[in-house]
Amino acid sequence: MPGAEPSELSATIEAPDQTLTPTIEAGAEEFQSLDPRVVRLWRLHQLIFAAVFGGVLLIPLFMLGVRSGRWLWPLVGWLVIMGLLGIRVCWHPRRAYRAWGYRLDEKVLEIRQGIWFRSLTLLPLSRLQHVDLDAGPIERGLGLASLVFHTAGTQNAIIVLPGLEASRARQLRDHLVAVGGDDAV
Amino acid sequence: MPSEPPTSGGLDANPSQAAGAAGAPFRGRLHPLTLVFAALDSLKSFLVPIIAVGIFGRGDGAMHPLFWVFLALPVYSAVVRYLTFRYRLDQGELITKHGIIARHERHIPLARVQDIRIEQGVLHRLFGVVEAQVETGAGKGPEASLSVLSRAEAERLRQAVFESLPAGAGATPAATRGGEPMAAAEIIRTIGLRELVLEGLTSNRMASVLVLFAVGLGFVDDLVPRERYEQWLREGGEMVARLSARYGESLWIPLGLLAVAGVLVSVGISVVGSIVLFHRFTLARRGEDLQRRYGLLRQRSSNLPRRRIQLLKVEEGLLRRWLRLATIRVDTASGASDEEERKSGRDVLLPIVRRDELPALLPQLLPGLEGDAAPWRQVSRRAIRRGFLKGSIALVFLAGGLFAVEALLRAPRWFDIWPLFLLPAVYWLNVISYRHLGYASGRFYFQTRRGWLGRAWHILPLRNAQTVEIRETPFDRRHGVVTLHLDTAGQSHTGGAPGIANLPRAEALALARSLARTAGATRYCWR
Repeated sequence: MPGAEPSELSATIEAPDQTLTPTIEAGAEEFQSLDPRVVRLWRLHQLIFAAVFGGVLLIPLFMLGVRSGRWLWPLVGWLVIMGLLGIRVCWHPRRAYRAWGYRLDEKVLEIRQGIWFRSLTLLPLSRLQHVDLDAGPIERGLGLASLVFHTAGTQNAIIVLPGLEASRARQLRDHLVAVGGDDAV
Repeated sequence: MPSEPPTSGGLDANPSQAAGAAGAPFRGRLHPLTLVFAALDSLKSFLVPIIAVGIFGRGDGAMHPLFWVFLALPVYSAVVRYLTFRYRLDQGELITKHGIIARHERHIPLARVQDIRIEQGVLHRLFGVVEAQVETGAGKGPEASLSVLSRAEAERLRQAVFESLPAGAGATPAATRGGEPMAAAEIIRTIGLRELVLEGLTSNRMASVLVLFAVGLGFVDDLVPRERYEQWLREGGEMVARLSARYGESLWIPLGLLAVAGVLVSVGISVVGSIVLFHRFTLARRGEDLQRRYGLLRQRSSNLPRRRIQLLKVEEGLLRRWLRLATIRVDTASGASDEEERKSGRDVLLPIVRRDELPALLPQLLPGLEGDAAPWRQVSRRAIRRGFLKGSIALVFLAGGLFAVEALLRAPRWFDIWPLFLLPAVYWLNVISYRHLGYASGRFYFQTRRGWLGRAWHILPLRNAQTVEIRETPFDRRHGVVTLHLDTAGQSHTGGAPGIANLPRAEALALARSLARTAGATRYCWR
């Protein structure tokens, strides 16, 4: 029955909302930010990474210095790398925090992210297969949690929304599962 | 309306045999010939030891005792399989059981059954039995393999499974509801011998390379400076002369014959392969189900509910486009993308079709497509400039590299930067690509088309779209454009819908939101 399907579909489709602001940034006030504590979390992650990476990097530096007897240039190189990592610790988390945002209405969850390479992901709630709630040890200490959304898709099958306040994340998950999960798939 | 596709005593079981199966609990076991086929199958894996024991046996005429052990094992496993294998339909599940010592029981929810594939080799055909494979959305390989069943029993099982599905979730085919007899199959397309030969010819890589080479030779004259062109000819001639001097003139005749024979054999193989694989190809529609049957030696048949098409791709390779032919591929949520799928022809829905048939044919595969006409829209014209810039940078690097090499080896001449002469061609290619790149956003379907030499046309039913994504690189930002991606499930046969780059940002955002809302307003169903 080829005729039956479209009519069945059209009954449930609404006209697209024309009132939405048509740029990624211009609609910024409509997007909700993550929990500000996520900046601290990311800083901590970056700091741990910088410490480990810097420590490991010291080994070849030391060997180079012993071999050649020159200490200045390896040291300068190390300091430059550590400086770059310092930027990632100080500047990047705050900027990334501003770039992240999510917006939820009754049909679609929108997530935007990225500083240079920006993306906006639109996830129709009826496509949710399941939702994970993740919280690492540092995240738990800060009272934060991440939501991981799974769809049946391929490249975008997994979508992560980090840095939510733990109770907010649980509430959001329960809501989304109730709205999107009635598909019995 | 033609009632049944003609097949030569193949897979066309009479549907009336399945009538009455809806009421009583459905249970069954394998066909007695399982004994023979299962023994033959496992005999294959014991072939080497059996031969080894046979050869290195005592040699006094009597067989080594091990020989009988190896011979008995396959027979034993076949007997066990035949005697213990049971299947039944119970409370919306297909349940299979087998084994004596270790018992295996598997429950497959019918709502997850994607397809029951039926295959019939030459031997199977002689005895009127088939192999049935139950496919679900779970990864690779069949969920249950019922081998062998009688033809009628397999058809009865297929109908029982698809008719007992709950008539609620998603769009349920009206034709299969409530135990009514299935609607008669309506043939959408058959493929004759002539078209199969064409299919084989155009799918041959060697032939494509030859054609491209011939076309390329025509252009070489215009693109490469005469001086350099003549130098190549001269050097080539010298090489021929050197080889002739060493091995004699007679070298060239066998070499030429060998090359011609190689091409002919490879073309012949692909033509024969195409005929053997797709012989008597029939695509029919019964209610919501698209049914395919094909095969000369091994006959295959499979079902595909139309709503399970995640993405449809009309593919026109270079040769096929020149002959006004196309291939239709579809993704399902379950398909695995491997060599086996390609060899068994499951990666294409319709191996070959004339382009002028598409307007009438596609709405049969995607209902409502004909009424869903949306105007084709193009992306920002900046696409040409950006593509040209990318190509130019590549060519400049190539030219610089070549010039540097020439400068090192011998005195460079002005025409050593010949890649730069291709710049107009790069511009032209970008203009062509731009002209053929477009999208159309209808109420039920999202369509894209792209390509310059070969073309591809993707049709995505929005009810099966997953997520929509907009990406913006720093370069994009300078031009005020973004790339739009639509994600679908499966993607093993079409490679997924292409991202549409260079869309003006405001347009892309409005489009993405409208697409996500339309998709969100529909339910996604695995089957």
